[in-house]
Amino acid sequence: MSDPRETQAVPQDPGRRSFLKVAGAGVAGSSLLTMLSARQAPAQVKGTSLRMLKWSHFVPAYDAWFDDFAKKWGEKTGVKVRVDHIPHLELPARYAAEFAAGAGHDLIYFVGQILTGQYYKNLLDLSDLANGLGQKYGGWMENAKSAAQVAGTWYAVPDFFISIPVLWRKDLFDSIGRPAPKTWDDLRAAARLLKPKGHPTGMQFSHCNDANHNWRALMYCFGVKETDPSGQNIALDSKEMREALRFGKALYDEGMTPEVFSWDDASDNRFLASGVGSWIHDAISAFLTTKDTNPKVFEHTYVLDEAAGPGGLKLNVGEPNVWAIWKFSKNAAAAKDFIMAISESQKEAMTASRGYNMPFLRDQYRKPMPMLGNDSKLAALQEQDKITAFFGNPGPMSPAAQEVLTTFIIPDMFTKVARGTDIEETMKWGVGEIRRIYTKHKAA
Amino acid sequence: MSELPAAGSRRPEASLSVAVGARVGVASWWRTPTARRYLFGYSLLTPAVLYVGLLVGMPFLFSLYLALSDATVGEPIARFVGIENFISALENATFYTALRNTLVFTLGAGILKGLLGTSLAFLLVQPFKGRRVVRALIVIPFTLPIAVSVLGWKWMFDSQFSVVNWALSNLGLIGGYGSADWPVWLGQPGLALFSVMFVNVWRGFPFSAIVLLAGMTSVAPEILEAAKVDGASFMQRFRKIIVPMIAPILFVGSAFDTVFTLSDLSIVYLLTNGGPDGATEILPTLAYNTGIRAGALGRGAAISLFLFPLLLPAIIILLRTLRRRQY
Repeated sequence: MSDPRETQAVPQDPGRRSFLKVAGAGVAGSSLLTMLSARQAPAQVKGTSLRMLKWSHFVPAYDAWFDDFAKKWGEKTGVKVRVDHIPHLELPARYAAEFAAGAGHDLIYFVGQILTGQYYKNLLDLSDLANGLGQKYGGWMENAKSAAQVAGTWYAVPDFFISIPVLWRKDLFDSIGRPAPKTWDDLRAAARLLKPKGHPTGMQFSHCNDANHNWRALMYCFGVKETDPSGQNIALDSKEMREALRFGKALYDEGMTPEVFSWDDASDNRFLASGVGSWIHDAISAFLTTKDTNPKVFEHTYVLDEAAGPGGLKLNVGEPNVWAIWKFSKNAAAAKDFIMAISESQKEAMTASRGYNMPFLRDQYRKPMPMLGNDSKLAALQEQDKITAFFGNPGPMSPAAQEVLTTFIIPDMFTKVARGTDIEETMKWGVGEIRRIYTKHKAA
Repeated sequence: MSELPAAGSRRPEASLSVAVGARVGVASWWRTPTARRYLFGYSLLTPAVLYVGLLVGMPFLFSLYLALSDATVGEPIARFVGIENFISALENATFYTALRNTLVFTLGAGILKGLLGTSLAFLLVQPFKGRRVVRALIVIPFTLPIAVSVLGWKWMFDSQFSVVNWALSNLGLIGGYGSADWPVWLGQPGLALFSVMFVNVWRGFPFSAIVLLAGMTSVAPEILEAAKVDGASFMQRFRKIIVPMIAPILFVGSAFDTVFTLSDLSIVYLLTNGGPDGATEILPTLAYNTGIRAGALGRGAAISLFLFPLLLPAIIILLRTLRRRQY
């Protein structure tokens, strides 16, 4: 479906008139900048309706703010807005159904599982929008492209990513005479001493999102590359990966209990909040919720942006969130305007999410960042743009990388080794499975 | 019916009378009681045929088409790849784990549901005060939304806050949280498979009991009384009278249960998502994660179709046995 804005020219005010002039001349980037600076939607969306599909955010207050924002935006632009929230794990099935039916929401959202690579032929080219935002806000983080671009074209617009730092108990570290942790070795040493005292650590060895993030963070800090930068060739079969597996087993043996094999995404939150856990590797929601559930634990919990690997390398694995628009969307114009409006309101969004929604745009990292800048514990996350990577690193989040993620091959490799399987045997299995997946995708 | 005249001797009046006669014959056949009976019968059957064709046949043929193609969630026009997706599944080490777990899950849960369902049905068939209330309460697990009940069990199997473990610990049967004998229900490979099977049994055995109960109430009490007078023991009465008499219900119930259990995605997906390390991976979760979450529709469909050769012989055997018993 074509964008109505390209065919319906209804100049209303000087800002929009100038926008349409430039658009007529075919300078899309500049035109969007004009719109961005005008902070106003074009008149032709008035009287239309916009349906969007989002996940249920881990911070419920953010969803409440978002729904209110959408409502107010609708009132301002004259667009009837409907926001549907569903659990994030159900989104892929919903998108498959919408695509098969050729009908559904006008504006969609990928979270964690980035399906840009799967659907890009059926998504609108949003390069004008993404480039406009990039120009206005100092450019995108380099990794943002991995989530939103296919072959250099923006088929999605990054919204925010969830950072997954280390949350550690200062009082427990003090009790064993350990300073603030900086490296994975520091964390391992502390876990070894604290486990006998009833304060083990834990990272998921199960089939859940956190298991995928956490073990990848360890791997990347150890210098492991999943593929080459093109994403075409597997690079996992390396001595760094073997070292990471060896370290994972030692960390489990010395610092964890078998419960980590059953954990889901929320288990480590409860583990920390219960006062048992000495440190966990999780999003700051785990930290923030302890403020209400166990203030004493909250008082002693500190945040480390990421632990460094043996060579000093520090790479945090984020959970990206991006906007996209189906080609069959009935209201692409309003959908684009909404993306612009929400991107312009990043500070408010970050405040509403209590510092959870980390921006992809460089200028939005100007200190002090909302919620982070004025909090001595969370201030460490203000440079997260410099150390964040996403799955598939350093390659893009391609469909093949996506399949490796959803079939939990990396967590299963760490689980096998932790349970005593030989590292070489595990490498043979894991690399074999990943190679099979990449070969299939190349053939397709 | 009139005979056609020989070639060359055809008279216009004769052919006209034959044609009219045939039309009159056909028209009059539609008015016969036989025709009306056929028409009535087929019109009653049509909705069922349409239902099965549209809601079962078409999806099945579509999944077959997907399994033989390189379809992905974002590529509606797929290329024919023959049995490549089936070969790919057979090359996947996780597939064999999933296949083994599926069989263990289905057989184990089926046997347990059969045993528990039978015992419960025998209890519920006895007259006692409040029997109707108990019968209504017993089906609650089956009627609860699956997501709600499974999330309840997820809490009960929680590694840290499991009410089951706390009860066992307070009874002195296991140590405290963090001790070596503290069971991690969803984390230890054998226990994890047992746990997902247990939830399936908990949810499904009331259905088995209700099906058996319906059959048992159809057995005339005089027959059982006569057998008792003749000295037949409980097991003899069950084996030689009750089971043969309720066999049709039993077979249909078993067929339903097998199909539901083999294709049950929700319990495993919500409790463990196939983890840890494939300990609870079953074909439906593997198919879902490959076909929908990873977007490889063709390979996902091929994995799910591996259930078909498992199910088809089971259903054929059941239905043939059922038919043989009826005639």
